[in-house]
Amino acid sequence: MMTAIRIEFLKWFQTMKVTWSEVFVYRFNFLLMVIGPMLVLFFIKYNVWSSIYQGASGQEINGYTFEEMVSYHLWFMIVSMLSMAYSGQDLAEDIRLGRISSYLIYPINFWQFNTARFLSIECIQVGIVLITLSTTYLGFSHILGEFNPSAFFAGFAISFLVGVFWFTIQYTTGLLAFWFEETWTFRVLFQIIAHFLSGAIIPLDFYPSWLVAILDYSPFPTLAYVPVKIFLGSYTELWKAAFTLLFWIIISAGIAAWVWKRGLKLYTAAGM
Amino acid sequence: MGRMWNHAKQRVVHYLRVYFGFFSTCFIATMSFRIHFVLLIVMDLFFYISTLGSIHIIYNHVSMIGPWNREQLLFFVSVMLTIQQCHMTFVSENFWIFSSTIRTGALDFILLKPISALFSAFFRHIRPGSFINILIAWGTVIYYGMEVHLDLLAWLLLPFCILLGLVLASSLDMVIASSMFWMLEGTGINFLRIELQELSRWPDFIYGSITSRILTIVVPILLIGSAPVRFLFDHSDWLPLLGLGVAIIVVWVVLHFVWNAGLNLYESASS
Repeated sequence: MMTAIRIEFLKWFQTMKVTWSEVFVYRFNFLLMVIGPMLVLFFIKYNVWSSIYQGASGQEINGYTFEEMVSYHLWFMIVSMLSMAYSGQDLAEDIRLGRISSYLIYPINFWQFNTARFLSIECIQVGIVLITLSTTYLGFSHILGEFNPSAFFAGFAISFLVGVFWFTIQYTTGLLAFWFEETWTFRVLFQIIAHFLSGAIIPLDFYPSWLVAILDYSPFPTLAYVPVKIFLGSYTELWKAAFTLLFWIIISAGIAAWVWKRGLKLYTAAGM
Repeated sequence: MGRMWNHAKQRVVHYLRVYFGFFSTCFIATMSFRIHFVLLIVMDLFFYISTLGSIHIIYNHVSMIGPWNREQLLFFVSVMLTIQQCHMTFVSENFWIFSSTIRTGALDFILLKPISALFSAFFRHIRPGSFINILIAWGTVIYYGMEVHLDLLAWLLLPFCILLGLVLASSLDMVIASSMFWMLEGTGINFLRIELQELSRWPDFIYGSITSRILTIVVPILLIGSAPVRFLFDHSDWLPLLGLGVAIIVVWVVLHFVWNAGLNLYESASS
């Protein structure tokens, strides 16, 4: 029994090690593809809101001071670092070019391989987040607010669940390559919609109340607005957020399993 | 002089014919994947809605951002969306392919062709699926142009200004993409391009003075949209538009240098 667990662990760990080597070989690429967009987005938001608050003579806008707005977007950057690093862009190519044939024989299957990759990137991201937060706390602690350990760990846990949700979405859209030549449009389309409706661009408090009421029935607020508010210590319905995310993770994982089963029947193992 | 003119004319006609050939093959390829074609249109539409919608939401709580009101900023964003839509349609696809073109040695075949390698590398792939959205983007420009009461001269110069912005955006991207010659894996460079595009999607006044100067003079991405729109709003504000013209010339000189240096470094992976 112990040997079986050990073998299973080694399988996953070796896959994670391979991903780490890939990331560290192409460090500059990883920086440009994963870290760069998040930093640039934060930089733009900082400048846009600076310009907006200058016009508002330093007053509050919809209950947010300038520092609170910057804090919101800084914590969103942390959430996105923890949840959106895995892109899954190779999935579709693996299917289209017949590379998944190997996973049908290997002791590690396609889902396990990609989940191990996701986990390895999550580990790197946790390191990057800790470095980002420590440096920010050293220089700009007034923006991040007082360190609240329970809010911090709760935020981390929810952000990890957001990451798992994004992973299942990326995985499912990638599997559509069994039917479609290009699948990145599905992925980007979902990202655009989620970005707009999750509070990633503007806090949801600014949105019309009727739209926020509708969004409460969707997973979108839990992808950005809710985790940020948890980090800030102003969202107390932690279990509601966790259950919402788990519910949508189970739904999307179920769809992924169904798509894989159906898709495999169509698979022609091109190139063999 | 006459012979030179005829020669130049023949070359332009030749390149137009080649470009038409590129276009027709891309159109046929696109028509083979109709769902992808439709999804591209839907994706761009959602992007427009989210971009313009976000600005509407902000302006529901403030009256001005910098010196501009809601309609002025929406006009600027519409101009940027049009430039980027044209960019996505005519050139963007090529930068994504260029990385693998170098890595796999497919550039050999481009270099062997009796046309400019730069032209063949960066204008070969067109995305016909985005054509419909150019019309929609133009629709938003015209709508917000009427909202900000553009005068006759501004309306006449609008297509020319958008074209200048597009030329600068594409030229800068070609320089950045050429840096892939120095990398083993160039996909990340495309993300750098996208990040610079994100920065240019906002007017120059939102950035602090040092950032604004760097992004106007060193990497002139803020000239892409801010220079034409500022001139269209106020014709006495022509200096940034002149800067845009100068920037295009400078970027092309740099591109010529970087491209040739990159070609000297290219090792032809397939041979």
